Amino acid sequence: MKKITWNSLTTRNPALFAAILLVLVIVINAIVQPNLLAIDTLNGNMRVFLPLILLAVGQTFVMICGGIDISVGGIVSIVNTILATQVGLNGSIEQLWKFVLISLVAGLLAGAINGFFIAILRLQPIITTYATGFLYAGFALFLLPNPGGGIPRAAADAYRTTTPLGIPLAFYIIAVILLLWWFLRSTKYGRYLYAVGGNAQAAYQTAVPVTWVIFSTYVISGVMAAFAGIAITLLSGSGNAEIGNAMTLTAITAVVIGGTALSGGVGGVAGPIMGAVTMGLIQNIISFSNVNTWWETLVKASIIVVALAAPGVINLFGRRKS
Amino acid sequence: MNVSLSARNIVKRYGGVVALSDGNLDVQSGEVLALIGANGSGKSTLSKVINGVVVLDGGQLLLNDKPVQFSSPQAAKEMGISIVFQELSLIPLMTIADNIWLTREPTKGLGLVDRKIIEKKTLELLSLFEGTYETVLSPDTVVADLPPDEKQIVEILKAISFDPEVIILDEATASLDSRQVQRLFELVETWKKAGKAIIFVSHRMEEIFRIADKYTVLRNGFTVGSGEIKDVTENDLVKLMIDKESVLDFTRDTYDEETMNQKPVCLEVNDLKTEVLAGVSFKVREGELLGLGGLQGQGQRELLLALFGDIPFKGEVRFLDESVHFRHPRQAMKKGLALVPGDRNREGLLYIRSILENLLLPSWRKYGLPLKMKKSISDANQVAASLNLKMAGLQEPVSSLSGGNAQKVVIGKWLMRSPQLLLLDDPTKGVDVGTKGEFYTLLTKLCAEGKTILFYSSDDEELLGLCDRVLVLHDGKIRSELIGDDLNKESLVSASLGVTNGGES
Repeated sequence: MKKITWNSLTTRNPALFAAILLVLVIVINAIVQPNLLAIDTLNGNMRVFLPLILLAVGQTFVMICGGIDISVGGIVSIVNTILATQVGLNGSIEQLWKFVLISLVAGLLAGAINGFFIAILRLQPIITTYATGFLYAGFALFLLPNPGGGIPRAAADAYRTTTPLGIPLAFYIIAVILLLWWFLRSTKYGRYLYAVGGNAQAAYQTAVPVTWVIFSTYVISGVMAAFAGIAITLLSGSGNAEIGNAMTLTAITAVVIGGTALSGGVGGVAGPIMGAVTMGLIQNIISFSNVNTWWETLVKASIIVVALAAPGVINLFGRRKS
Repeated sequence: MNVSLSARNIVKRYGGVVALSDGNLDVQSGEVLALIGANGSGKSTLSKVINGVVVLDGGQLLLNDKPVQFSSPQAAKEMGISIVFQELSLIPLMTIADNIWLTREPTKGLGLVDRKIIEKKTLELLSLFEGTYETVLSPDTVVADLPPDEKQIVEILKAISFDPEVIILDEATASLDSRQVQRLFELVETWKKAGKAIIFVSHRMEEIFRIADKYTVLRNGFTVGSGEIKDVTENDLVKLMIDKESVLDFTRDTYDEETMNQKPVCLEVNDLKTEVLAGVSFKVREGELLGLGGLQGQGQRELLLALFGDIPFKGEVRFLDESVHFRHPRQAMKKGLALVPGDRNREGLLYIRSILENLLLPSWRKYGLPLKMKKSISDANQVAASLNLKMAGLQEPVSSLSGGNAQKVVIGKWLMRSPQLLLLDDPTKGVDVGTKGEFYTLLTKLCAEGKTILFYSSDDEELLGLCDRVLVLHDGKIRSELIGDDLNKESLVSASLGVTNGGES
C-alpha cells in the first residue's frame, strides 16, 4: 500500500490543516480567556465572525475555479451603506427586508460585472477585481460620505440575541451553508467547479461550459459578499463606507488557511469556515493577552504568516526525504 | 449500424505555418485505419480537425456521406466521434470516476450525481483492462496518483464511455506496456465487430501491422498514399514517409574515426537514469557533433536537461575527466556547459525584455558593480554581429525578432560565456530555412574550434547532414548508434520507429 504522507493526507482532506490549527487556537484562547466556551461568549464571538465566514465561503467558489476576487470588500461596503442610508435608525422592519433583497441584487450585479470581465472578456482576475473593488468602494462612499445612518434597533438586537434552542444563530447559518455545499458538491455543477480549476483546457476538451462556470463563481462570491454586508450591518447597527476594506484580504487568508489553493482545483467550504473562525480567534487571543495596541498588527500578522508557512515547511521536509 | 467518415482536402494553418495542406482519409464501419507519418507531418492536426478541437481552414469532412462541420469538441461528440488524446484530457486532482463521466454524470432527483451508478459503470469499464494494472484501481482513485500507463487507460475508457461510432486513438499505445496493448487490441477487435470505425495514429510499425486494415500516409501536410495494409510491407510505408527531395544541402567533412578516437573524451555518461530515461551510456569526444535522434518524447529532452542539472538523475557523468553531478544549472554553467532549450520563448528567453538583457543574462556577473554598461554593450554588439543577428537595436525587445533571430539570441547568450559543451534541444524548430543554414555553418565552426556539441533534432535531415554520429533514442534507451555508412535516412527512420535494429553493427 501507499504510505501516508502529509501531502497525500492534505490532498484528500484539504481542511485537515485548518482543523488542527483551529483546535490549537481554541486551546490557546481558552487559556487566556477561560469562559470562551460559555454560551454568551460563544454567541458574542460567532456573531462577530459571521460576516468573515460568509465572505470566505463566497471566495472559496472563486478560488476552487482558479480565480480570485478582491472586490468583495467593496461589495460589503455598498451593502452596508445601502442599508444604513435607505432604512435608517427609525425605519420599519418591512423596509429593512425590502432593502435586504435590494442589497442581495446589488451583490449579484457586482459579481456579474466581475464575471463578465473575467469569464467573457478573459481579463486577469486579480487586476480586474482590484479595479472593480475601487469602483464598488467609491460607490459606497458616494452613497454615504461620512459614517452615520443605521438600521432599526430591533433588528440589531435580534441579530445579537437570537439563539434558537440556546445555540447561537451563526451555527444555524453555518449548518445551512454546509448542507447547501454538500448538496452542490454532489451535483454536476460541483464537478464542473473542480474540473475548471483543475485543468481548464482538459475541461474544455471534455465539453464543460468553462466560461459559464467561471462566471457563476463570481456571481456567487458577489451574493455571499452581500450576505456578509448584511451581517456586518446587523452587527454594527450603523453605516460606514469603509467597513469592508479590511475584510477582503482577511477572507482570502481564511480560505488559504482552509486548504483551498490559489492555483485552484482543490478545497471545500468547511476549511475556509474554520479558517475564518481561526482568524477571529487569533484577534481574540491578542486582545486578551494584553498586547500593547501598537504591537497588535505586528503580532497578529506574525501569527498569520507562521500559520500560512506551516504547510509549506512540512512539505519541504517531505521533499528533502524523497 | 453503419458509419463512414471521410476527410477531403483538409487545410489547416496556424498563423503563417501550414500544418496541413491536403489531408485526406476514409474510414468505415468495422475497419481500422492506420494514420501514419513522420514528426510534424500533420497527423495530430488531422485528428484534431476530425474531433472539432481545431477548426479547419479548408476542405470538407463527410460523415455518412453528408458534409458536417464541427466547431467544438462537443459538436463532434454529439455526432459520435471520440478521441483518445495523446496529451490526455484528464483533470489530475479528480477521481477516475469523476473524470470518465465529466459532463455526462447520471443524475437522480434534485440534480444530485448518482454515485452508485457511476461507480458501477466505472467498475465495468475498468474491468475491460482487468489484470493489467499495477495497483488496485478503484473508481475513487485520484488520477494524479496513477502511473502514466494507467492514466492513458483512464483516457481510453473516458473516450469509449459514451459508446461512440468513430474512435480516434492518437498515439494511445505510446505509454502502455505490451499486456495493456494486447488488451486494447482485443477491445479494438470487439469494436470492429460492433461496427465502429477506428482511426489508429501510431509510430509503432509492428502495432500497425497487427491491428490495421488500411493505411493513410501523411508527409509534410499532404496525404501521399493510402491503401490496404495487406498489400504493403514496412519498408514500403517507411519509404512513403520519407521526403525524397531534401530541402537543404549540407557539406560536412568526412568522418574520420581514427582521428576522432585520438581526441580526448569530453563527456562520458554511464547508466544515466531519470523518470523517463532507463539507463543511457555514451561518450562524446572533444570537437564532436553528436546527434540525438528518434521520435519526439523518447527521452532526448530529459537527457539534455539532466546533463545541465535541471532535473534530478541517477548515474555517473564525467566531464573533461572529472566526475560531476550537477544539481543546479548554475553548477553546469560554471563548468562550461550551455543549454539551448526546446521551448525558446518560455525557457530560453525573457520574451518581453530587450535583446541586450537577454544576451547578458548569464554573464552579468562579469560586468562588476555598478555594471560596466559600455563594455557590456560592445560585447553584446560583437556577438550579435558574429551571429549576423538582424535587429533594430540592442534595446529592442526579443519579441520583436523573428523565430530564427530569437534563437540566435539564445545561442548568443551562451557564446558570450564561451562554453565547452553545448546541449541543443531541437534548436531549428520554427526557424526559417535561411537561418537554419547559418546555424549549420555556426555549429560546424564551433566544432572545428574544439567545442563539443550534443544536438537533438526532430528533423532527420539535419541529423544526417550535420552529425558525425547519431544516437537514436527509443523509450528512454539508446536504441542504436549510427555511424558512417550506416547513417542514412532509411536506417534512421527505421531505428526511430523500432522497425529493426537497423544500423547496429
